Amino acid sequence: MQPQVNIPFSNTETIPGMTITQMMGVVTGSTVRAKNVFKDIGAGLKNMVGGELKAYTELLQESRNEALYRMLVDAQARGANAVVNVRFATSSVAGGAAELLAYGTAVVVQ
Amino acid sequence: MARPSSSNEVIRLVVLYVVLSLLVPLLPWLVSGIGTAMYQPKKKQELLQREQAFAKKGDVLSTLSKPLSGKEVKEYQVLMTNVVMSPSWIQSLVGGILSLFGGEINVFTKVVDWSRREAQQRLREEAAANGYDEVINIRLETTTLRKIQGAKDKTTGVEVLAYGTAIKY
Repeated sequence: MQPQVNIPFSNTETIPGMTITQMMGVVTGSTVRAKNVFKDIGAGLKNMVGGELKAYTELLQESRNEALYRMLVDAQARGANAVVNVRFATSSVAGGAAELLAYGTAVVVQ
Repeated sequence: MARPSSSNEVIRLVVLYVVLSLLVPLLPWLVSGIGTAMYQPKKKQELLQREQAFAKKGDVLSTLSKPLSGKEVKEYQVLMTNVVMSPSWIQSLVGGILSLFGGEINVFTKVVDWSRREAQQRLREEAAANGYDEVINIRLETTTLRKIQGAKDKTTGVEVLAYGTAIKY
């Protein structure tokens, strides 16, 4: 397991109950994963009838948590104590891999 | 005098061969079609029931960046839920043929719509399970998972991510 980074982060423009005193810039965290590496035979069969592919749902969830964690580490390295306006983006890279990106604005709050 | 019966037999064998050689390649599509017709409506019905159980209280999800009631937020957490879904083989086939003609590809619309509803419903359920009153500022993100060229695994799918800030008053 990853060590916990204890930085509050929010999807909204402010951290509720706190005021932003300083802005530390945009922080990002990303990871590129190929689904074939974590290939699951069940997913191939499931494709026949359609519907959810649980193995991939979980894989992407884990990868996204990893991206989020990297973003928070970045924020901590810049001396911020919170990240606001966090957004997630995903894009397909060549070769069937997907890039999971988390980005936000690192701030100092009081 | 055995000639007519033997020629009959040959015709029968030829017919059997033709029918079998047509059927065997179609078998996976047939299985996929029947499987889709049995599996997907059942799952969609389940989702509808889950949605209706939540609909009574009014929707907790909103894209607003502040709660509409204006109440003070005591506790918050970013929640994200995702789902990867794929069209079935038969749906991909039908969609592929339809896309030659252009226009709306209904089979794919249904799959994407279904996954988006599923992702949103999971967000509602996760918020309720953790005791949050509302989820504000939700965003929906869609990605396609393409197949790898030349790889054995031909799985394709669509991922929908729903995330937002869950709040307690």
